[in-house]
Amino acid sequence: MNADEELAAASQQEQGASLSDDDSLETCIEIKDLNLYYARDVHALKNITLDIPRNKVTAFIGPSGCGKSSLLRCFNRMNDLIDDCQIDGKIRIDGENIYAKRIDVANLRRRVGMVFQKPNPFPKSIYDNVAYGLRIQGMKSRRVLDEIVENSLRAAALWDEVKDRLDRNALELSGGQQQRLVIARTIAVEPEVLLLDEPASALDPISTLKIEELINELRRKYTILIVTHNMQQAARVSDYAAFMDMGSLIEYDSTDTLFTNPSKRKTEDYITGRYG
Amino acid sequence: MRYAVDHFARTTISLGGIGIIVILLLIFIYLVQEVMPLFSGASVEARGSYDRPGNPGVPTLQLSIEEQAGMAMRLDAEGVFHFFELDTGVLASSERLNLPTSATISSFASDSAESGLLALGLESGEMLLVEQEYDTSFSTVDNSRIVTPSYTYPAGEQPLLVYDNEPVTQIAVGSRGEQFLAALSNAAGDVVLLRGARQQNLLGAFDPDASPVYNLSQITLPELVPPANQLLLDGDLRWLLAIDRRGAVRVFDLASAFRDGSVAEVARANLLPQGANLVDARFLLGGVSLLISSDRGETSQWFLVRDENGNQLQQVRSFGGSDSPIVSITGEWRRKNFVTTDATGSVRIFNTTASRAVFEGDLLQAGAVAMAVAPRGNALLLESTDGKLHAWRLDNPHPEISWSALWERVWYEGYSEPDYIWQSSAASNDFEPKYSLMPLTFGTFKAAFFAMLLAAPLAVCGAIYTGYFMAPRLRRKVKPLVELMEALPTVVLGFLAGLWLAPLVEEHLLSVFSIVVLLPLGIVAASLLWMYLPRSLGEYLPDGWEAVMLVPVVLFFCWMAVVLATPMESLFFGGDLRNWLSDELGVSYDQRNAMVVGLAMGFAVIPTIFSIAEDAIFNVPQQLSYGSQALGATPWQSLYRVVLPTASPGIFSALMVGMGRAVGETMIVLMATGNTPIMDINLFEGMRTLAANIAVEIPESEVDSSHYRILFLAALVLFVFTFFVNTIAEVVRQRLRSRYNVL
Repeated sequence: MNADEELAAASQQEQGASLSDDDSLETCIEIKDLNLYYARDVHALKNITLDIPRNKVTAFIGPSGCGKSSLLRCFNRMNDLIDDCQIDGKIRIDGENIYAKRIDVANLRRRVGMVFQKPNPFPKSIYDNVAYGLRIQGMKSRRVLDEIVENSLRAAALWDEVKDRLDRNALELSGGQQQRLVIARTIAVEPEVLLLDEPASALDPISTLKIEELINELRRKYTILIVTHNMQQAARVSDYAAFMDMGSLIEYDSTDTLFTNPSKRKTEDYITGRYG
Repeated sequence: MRYAVDHFARTTISLGGIGIIVILLLIFIYLVQEVMPLFSGASVEARGSYDRPGNPGVPTLQLSIEEQAGMAMRLDAEGVFHFFELDTGVLASSERLNLPTSATISSFASDSAESGLLALGLESGEMLLVEQEYDTSFSTVDNSRIVTPSYTYPAGEQPLLVYDNEPVTQIAVGSRGEQFLAALSNAAGDVVLLRGARQQNLLGAFDPDASPVYNLSQITLPELVPPANQLLLDGDLRWLLAIDRRGAVRVFDLASAFRDGSVAEVARANLLPQGANLVDARFLLGGVSLLISSDRGETSQWFLVRDENGNQLQQVRSFGGSDSPIVSITGEWRRKNFVTTDATGSVRIFNTTASRAVFEGDLLQAGAVAMAVAPRGNALLLESTDGKLHAWRLDNPHPEISWSALWERVWYEGYSEPDYIWQSSAASNDFEPKYSLMPLTFGTFKAAFFAMLLAAPLAVCGAIYTGYFMAPRLRRKVKPLVELMEALPTVVLGFLAGLWLAPLVEEHLLSVFSIVVLLPLGIVAASLLWMYLPRSLGEYLPDGWEAVMLVPVVLFFCWMAVVLATPMESLFFGGDLRNWLSDELGVSYDQRNAMVVGLAMGFAVIPTIFSIAEDAIFNVPQQLSYGSQALGATPWQSLYRVVLPTASPGIFSALMVGMGRAVGETMIVLMATGNTPIMDINLFEGMRTLAANIAVEIPESEVDSSHYRILFLAALVLFVFTFFVNTIAEVVRQRLRSRYNVL
C-alpha cells in the first residue's frame, strides 16, 4: 500500500470515527491510521482512526475475527510478543506516541493494564498475585504492600471473600473470583487505562454480573476499554461503543445511539442478530 | 460393540500396566534371592559318630581330613597314624612312624599350610619331620576313586639329633615353596633352626614318584627365647614368634639368620588381657594373621603393621561369644575362616575379614580335645573328651560377607590401617578378598556428579532459552537436533571418550580449562557488545534468532583458547600443566579421568534433561507470561517469577531422570574411566562405578560364588537407589505440581 492510498483511506475513515456531539470529553487515547498485519499477508486492522475518551467505558463489538482483540492489544503493545506482527500508524496515550523508540514497554504496560479472557492468576498465593506488579517494580515495604493489596482487593470487590485466606493459592478460587483477582492485580499498579478482553466470557451469569458491577465501579477512576461478544453486556456497561468488522471500524458512537439508532446498515444487522 | 472395544482397551491397558509392575517386582525378587545367601550363616549336619581308632588312653596329636572329605587321619602320641573313613570310622590302615620303640614325643607342631608337614620333638633331643599326603587313583574296575595315604621324611628317615639328651620342649614348622623351616627349643631356650631346600636333580625330572631330596642346613642360637614359650613361624618363614602362657610375645627377624647367625628381636607385645592364659596360637591362612585364643573364651587377631617405629604387632579385631575357655582352634585351608571349640563342646566358625561368627552351636555334650576342618571347608571332625570322634558336614558358602565387610572400613591383612578396598581376585590362593562396595558407590556418584556438573546447567539454560525466548521456527529445528544426540549409542560415546577425547584432553589440558573460563566470559562480552550496537544492525535479525549470532562467538573463543594455551602453559606452568599439577599441587593425572567422563557422560545426559525441561517450560501457558508482562514485568522477570516456578516440577524431574541416567550409565564409564576402584574426588583420577564393575567382572566370576552374588548385590544396590531417587523425585514433583498446578 503506497502513501497516497493510505491517506485517502484515512480521510475516508475519519468522519465515522470522531465523536462530534460532546465537546466536554477529554481524549485519552488517540488512534490514527492504524494498520496491523500478521505474517506479512494477513491484514488484521485496516486504517483504524478513533479517539477514546477519558474515564469512560468504551466497548468494542463485532463478529469473531473482526480484529477487536488485536486492536485492544495494540494499546499496551502486547502484539510485540506475537511473531511476525507488524504495526504502522500512530497511537497516542495522553498525547504520547506509544510506538516511539524511547518508550519503555514495561512502563507502558504498567500504565495500561490488561485483563484477559481466561482468568490467569499466577500459581501463587492471593496476596502474592496482587502484590506481583508492585514487587517487580522493586517495592519491598510490607506495610505499603499490605495496604495496596487490601485497597486493590476492595476495589475489585473481592476483599470480603478472601481476606481470611490471603496466603492460599489463587488457583483455589472460583473462576469469577479469579477474574476479579486478576482485575485487583491489575489495578494494584495504578494504571490509567484498563483493557478488558472479553473478561466475562468464561464465567457463569452470576460472576458475569459481579464483573459488570465492578466495571461500573471502576469507570470513575479509569479509562476502560472492553471487548465483548455479548451485546447486552456492551449495552449495559459502556458509554461508547465501536462496531468493527473485517478489520475495519464500521461505526463508533455513544452506546445509546449505536444500539438504538445505528447509522450503518451493517451495524444494525449485527446488533439485531441478522448478521452472518 | 462399542462397549466391547472399550472393555478390550481398558483390559489391555490395565494388563500392560500391571505387567510392568509385576516384572519389576520379579526382577527385584530375583535379585534379592540371589543376594540373600550372602547373609545367611553356615549350617552343619551330622555325618557320623564313632570310637576313635588306636589305643585308648593315648592322646591325639593331630586330626586331619583328606581333600574329598572321604578319609580322615589321627596321629596319636605314640606316633601312630590311623587312617579311617570319615563317615563310619572304619579303619583303613594304622602305621607307626619310624621312631625307636622307646621314644616319647615331647613336642609336636604342624605346618598351617596345605603341605601336610608335621614336626615331632622327642624326649631324647631328636626330631623327626614327616610329610603326610594322600594319593588319589582310580580303580580300573568301576572307575571309583581310591585314596591311598602316604608319607615321606623330608629331613631323613632317621630322627635327627638336635640336643644332647635334652628333650625338645617346643617345636614349630613351616614351609614355603620348595623350602621348609623348623624351629626348636629346649628347656634352656636354645633355639635350633633347621632349614631344608629342595634339591634340584636330574633324576627327579625323570622319576616323578621319587621322593624329593632336601639340602639341610642347621644353626643354633643359644638362649634366644625364654624357656617354655610356644614357638610359631609365619607364612614367609621370616618371623619367629615366642609366646608365653600369659600372652607376652617376642618377634624375631630370621632374615639373616642363615647368613651370619644374627637374629634381631623386632617387636614385643602383650597379646592377652591381664590374667588371661594362652590356650592356643596359630597363623591364619596365608601366615600373616596370628590368632590367639585365651581361657576367657575370646580369640583375637593380630598382625605386624609397619609404622615409623618399625614393626608393631597390632590387634585387628577379636571374636568373643564363648563364656568358657577355648580348647582348640584351627584354621580353614583356603579361606580366612577359623573354628574354635570351647570346654562345653560348643563350636564357632568365624570369618576374619567379615568379622562375624558364621556358625555357633553346641555340637558336643562333652568338651572337645581336638578337631580338623576339611580342605574345602565342607566337613568338620571333632574329638570329644570321652574318646569319641564326631564328623559333621559343613555348608558354609559365603563366610566372607557381612554388612561391615561391604560398607565399613575393614582392616585387611598387610594394610597399615582400615580402609575401603575393592579387590575381588588375585593371583594367590591365600589372598584375602576385599569386597567393599564403598569405592564403587563412591565412583558411581563421582561420575554422576561430574556429568551433572556439566550437563545440568547447560541443559537447563538451553531449555530455558529454547522454550521461552527462541523463535518458534528456530525451536522446531533445534529441539529435534538436540534430541537426536540421545540416539547416539553410548558405546560409541564411550569409545570416542576413551580413545579420542581422553588423549586429546591430556594433550591440550590447558586449552580445555581456557575454554571453560574464556567461553562464558566471551559470551557475556559479546552480549554486552550486542546491546550497545546500533539498533539498526539488530533489525536484520528477527526476534528469537539471537542464538545463531553466538555460533561464531563460540567458535572464535574456542580457537582463541587453543591458540593461547601453549604460550600460557610455558609462561605460568613451566611448559607442561600435567607436570606442574603433580609437582606443585601433588595431584596425579590419569589419562582416563573424571573430567573425560564428565564431558562424555554429560554429553549423553544433556539431551535427556534438555528435552524434559524444555517441554516443561514450553508448556507453561503463555497466558501466565502474558499476564505477567501485561503488569509491566520484563521478560526476565516473568521468566523467573512466573514461568520457572510453574515449570519447576518438570525441570526437577528432568534433573532427576538425568541423574538416574548418569548413575546407571555403563558403557561410557566402562570405556573412559580406567576402572580403578579408588575413592578420591580428584578430577584427574578415574573411578569404577557399580554398573561398570558388574559389566567388567560378571563374565569372570564363578556362578553362585560369593563374588558372583556380590555383583548381584551391586545390581540390587543400583536398583534400590534408582527406585528411591525416582520415588523421591516423583513425590517432590507431585507436591510442586499441586502447588503450581495451572490447568
